Amino acid sequence: MPTEADNKRQAARDVIDILEDISKILNTNLNRTELSLCVSLIENGVNPDALAAVIKDLRKETATMNRS
Amino acid sequence: MSTSTRQTTRPRRIDDALSQLVDSLTPALPISALQDEDYSDPEEALAATEERRHNAYLERAWRIIDTHVPSNTADPGSPSGRRGSFAGTENVNNAADLIKRKLRRENASPELAVKFSNMYSKLLTQPVLSQKWGILYLLYKLSDENEFAPEQGERSRSPLMDDGNLQNMLGGRAPRSRRGTGSRPFDSEDDEGPAVSSSASQRIPLSSKPERQSSLRQDGMEQLNTRRSGERMREERASRAGNYEAVLTDRESDGRADAASPLPSAAATFSPSRSESFENGLLRDLPFNLQGLSSTNLQFQSASSLKLPSNLPAPIISLLNSLAEPCLLYKGLSAFVETTEGGLVNQSLRAAIANELRSYLSLVATLEAEIRQALAAIGDANEPKGVRKGGVTLKRCVVWTRDATMALRLMSLIVEESKDKKGGQLISLIHGFSSSHGDPFVCAFAEKLLAHVTQPFYDMLRSWIYDGELSDPYEEFFVAEGKGTSDEDPRRIATSVWDTKYVLDEKMLPSIITEEFANKVFLIGKSLNFIRYACGDSAWVEAYSKEASKELKYGDTATLEISIDEAYKTTMARLIHLMDNKFKLFDHLQALKKYLLLGQGDFIALLMESLASNLDRPANSQYRHTLTAQLEHAIRASNAQYDPPDVLRRLDARMLELSHGEIGWDCFTLEYKIDAPVDVVITPYGSTQYLKVFNFLWRVKRVEFVLSSTWRRCMTGARGVLAHVDDKVGPDWKRARCVIAEMIHFVCQLQHYIVFEVIESSWDTLQAAISKPDCTLDDLIMAHKEYLNSITHKGLLGSASPRYGSSTSNSAKQPEESFLSQLHQILKIMLSYKDAVDGLYSFSVAEFTRREELSAKIETRTAQGRWGVTDRDLNPRRANSRGGTSTPDIRPASAGLDGFDTPVTLSAQDLAADDHMLASLRVRLRDLSADFRSRLNILLGDLAYQPDVDMRFLGVVMNFNDVYEPVKRRRAAGPSSRDKEKERERERAKRRAAAAAQANGSGTEGSGSIPRETRRERKEFPEQVANGAVA
Repeated sequence: MPTEADNKRQAARDVIDILEDISKILNTNLNRTELSLCVSLIENGVNPDALAAVIKDLRKETATMNRS
Repeated sequence: MSTSTRQTTRPRRIDDALSQLVDSLTPALPISALQDEDYSDPEEALAATEERRHNAYLERAWRIIDTHVPSNTADPGSPSGRRGSFAGTENVNNAADLIKRKLRRENASPELAVKFSNMYSKLLTQPVLSQKWGILYLLYKLSDENEFAPEQGERSRSPLMDDGNLQNMLGGRAPRSRRGTGSRPFDSEDDEGPAVSSSASQRIPLSSKPERQSSLRQDGMEQLNTRRSGERMREERASRAGNYEAVLTDRESDGRADAASPLPSAAATFSPSRSESFENGLLRDLPFNLQGLSSTNLQFQSASSLKLPSNLPAPIISLLNSLAEPCLLYKGLSAFVETTEGGLVNQSLRAAIANELRSYLSLVATLEAEIRQALAAIGDANEPKGVRKGGVTLKRCVVWTRDATMALRLMSLIVEESKDKKGGQLISLIHGFSSSHGDPFVCAFAEKLLAHVTQPFYDMLRSWIYDGELSDPYEEFFVAEGKGTSDEDPRRIATSVWDTKYVLDEKMLPSIITEEFANKVFLIGKSLNFIRYACGDSAWVEAYSKEASKELKYGDTATLEISIDEAYKTTMARLIHLMDNKFKLFDHLQALKKYLLLGQGDFIALLMESLASNLDRPANSQYRHTLTAQLEHAIRASNAQYDPPDVLRRLDARMLELSHGEIGWDCFTLEYKIDAPVDVVITPYGSTQYLKVFNFLWRVKRVEFVLSSTWRRCMTGARGVLAHVDDKVGPDWKRARCVIAEMIHFVCQLQHYIVFEVIESSWDTLQAAISKPDCTLDDLIMAHKEYLNSITHKGLLGSASPRYGSSTSNSAKQPEESFLSQLHQILKIMLSYKDAVDGLYSFSVAEFTRREELSAKIETRTAQGRWGVTDRDLNPRRANSRGGTSTPDIRPASAGLDGFDTPVTLSAQDLAADDHMLASLRVRLRDLSADFRSRLNILLGDLAYQPDVDMRFLGVVMNFNDVYEPVKRRRAAGPSSRDKEKERERERAKRRAAAAAQANGSGTEGSGSIPRETRRERKEFPEQVANGAVA
């Protein structure tokens, strides 16, 4: 049923919208894609603490790389 | 366990997502990164490198995730296991709470927190996510991280930024240096703070005691520092540090309890166990106390006193003392917020304060949550020292409430001072705080309050400058309804729409608005109101307000000024336009000048001629219809007929209030009717001034008219009738002509002066003033008032004797000495002189006819052959001549006295009777001329000492060849001036006597008496001067 799928997609989009707003308030510097990826990861059971650590690590890494 | 199984069952999806995430997070490698690769195929090499790097990152990511998963699930029995149970709904709220608290702490305003709450509740309604808390927690952690990013410097209020950060650095550097750089991920994790998560701190054995203690010591020193310096800024920082501690408590108080040594609190000088429990009790009650409620330990005695328990150690008492301040302040303020009296500004102040109190309450709520958690933690751990571990102490509470206390203090100060203030004064008060207080916190706070408080004020301002309506039920605006003016001069009531309907209340002028600005605003509203009500142009006002109206707010002064300037220009232009085109104000002014100030010469001359015979009759025999008929005639026969009918319609001739014994001349007046709204400019008072001027001018004109007709008669008579009696009355005529010429000169000079020096120049000034492009109605009114004033003042109509500026007593004693009365006297003398000259003329005519008769009789008798003159003729002649005196020309006074004066019958007794009659005329003429002269001298003397140049000029013009000797006046006290009066009387008498003697002596002399008279006066002059000097 396409309508249901649509509805679902719409709902997902809404959720991502809200989360994007929140992340904007919190200054997380995540863009929409990253945010939705994170959401899917967490929905799949990844520990948020760990995920946060991963993201931070990657950022730091790229930052040092850019600096060097 | 569930996560680990998921990891094995569905690693693929996670793997995909994770690799995508890694991709998106790592930027593409630049070519320059391939320095050590071979350049055979750069793209391929690049891809390979990227691939390699990607795999490395992915690997690391997996490692991190893997290391996390078991740590969370490994020890579910630990206190942190409570947080480890991921699926619980409690945790969903927990993450949200964490975020909320963080937002609240980092931002001065609760806006973001509120926004977040909204979004959070929206999120909760979404069914899609099952791990809502997880994503929130992730975001939370990421936001934490970003606090460390250097580009976030603008968030200076964030507690983690300065002190917290500093402490973390201090705490975190030592372990890192020891541990080396082997494990970067953990290093970075640690960088974030010593207690990012319970799991981390547990898993990694880096938080050994010494380091931890050093960091805590740092913390304690920081607090001590702030305490010592006592500066507010430092305190604020300390409170931020405290906040940071609070964050810590949420997450790791339990973990810390067993991992770290007790916090070295500065207050821990007393026996811990007892005060601990007491402090716990106090802490528990504190949120209620902060809301102004009594508790067992802290009782509110009254609205302004809080009873502290007496059995406490001094440090706690002192802490409680400082904590009592916000309690009491809050109590007082909430009581104030509950009240309802006061105007709109007061109410909005109340609303603003209520707003502030709400944010204070939310602070209290946060505090309460902290305290509860800390207390609960103590309960959990059954640890007597838990409170200090928890980091919530009374001292911390003091620090946390520091800012709020400042705000409360300021508010209660404002409330206190605003008690008997309202409206603009209140705004000025708060504005005073925001503009001239040195403390930036106070300034900012007052500014915030001001934005709320000024709202009603700006609403009023708006309705005032755009609608011209005063919507001010509590009289708070700086424009107020005019008070009842019934006790004032009733003549002024009619102008109330403009002058007194609204008044500017300086007291209510808020300091956010300058005076000039306020005047403008006042004028705008007044004009709009005037246009609407007096000019009947409310359609325009409505259109204008619809088009121009815009929101006014505190803060953007520039916009406000621009919009007000615009409104000012538009309104004024409209008002002037209305006045000019719809109500023909300028035409009316022109007409007033033409008709009431005798500008239209032909009209006035015609009117006077046609009315002259009519006005000679007594005042009570004047009829309005004859007057209006003559007026009509004068209008139709003169150039006035070309004036617009609207102007002519307003012109009316009428009599002033009749009083007995006056003739028509005295009470005739022209009137120019002015109706609303032009009467705002040409006020009723102004109209009476116009009438006054007109009456004076009319009188002068009349005298001129009379004198010139007399002169004409003299001149024509001199060629005919008078030439025949030259031998008898020739010198008298000569003298009379001289005096009349003098008088005509005087009247002409006076008229010339009034018309050219006074009216025309004032008119010119008026024209210049009202034709200015940015002229307002107020300017118009002022200009017109000036115009009238200068006319009445310079036109010698000023109120009694302004020439003796300071000596009012003098002027009070001589009210008759004002120019107006002097001029009236002089004009009266002229009129009587004219009467006397008429008498002389009729005498001369009678003489002439008698001589004619006699010579005719002699003629006939001679023709009959008899004696021309017989003795018998004398008797019947006498009877005849007596009967002949009933001709209307001859005055009764001289009746029967003429008739003997024939050259043939000059008997001694006849001569005596004749002389008697003629002498009385002569005396009269002489007296009048002497009186005229002396009065003129006084007038000239007064004129010479006028401050006004034009008036001095008038004196000079009248006396250009020094014919007259102006009487020099001195400022003198009453008696001496009375002496002078006597002196003058004496002089006058002397002169009269001298003139009489001279006239008698020169009765038959043909030689000019005038030169002699002047010579005599010349002789007298030194004597006069001497007299003046003595006086």
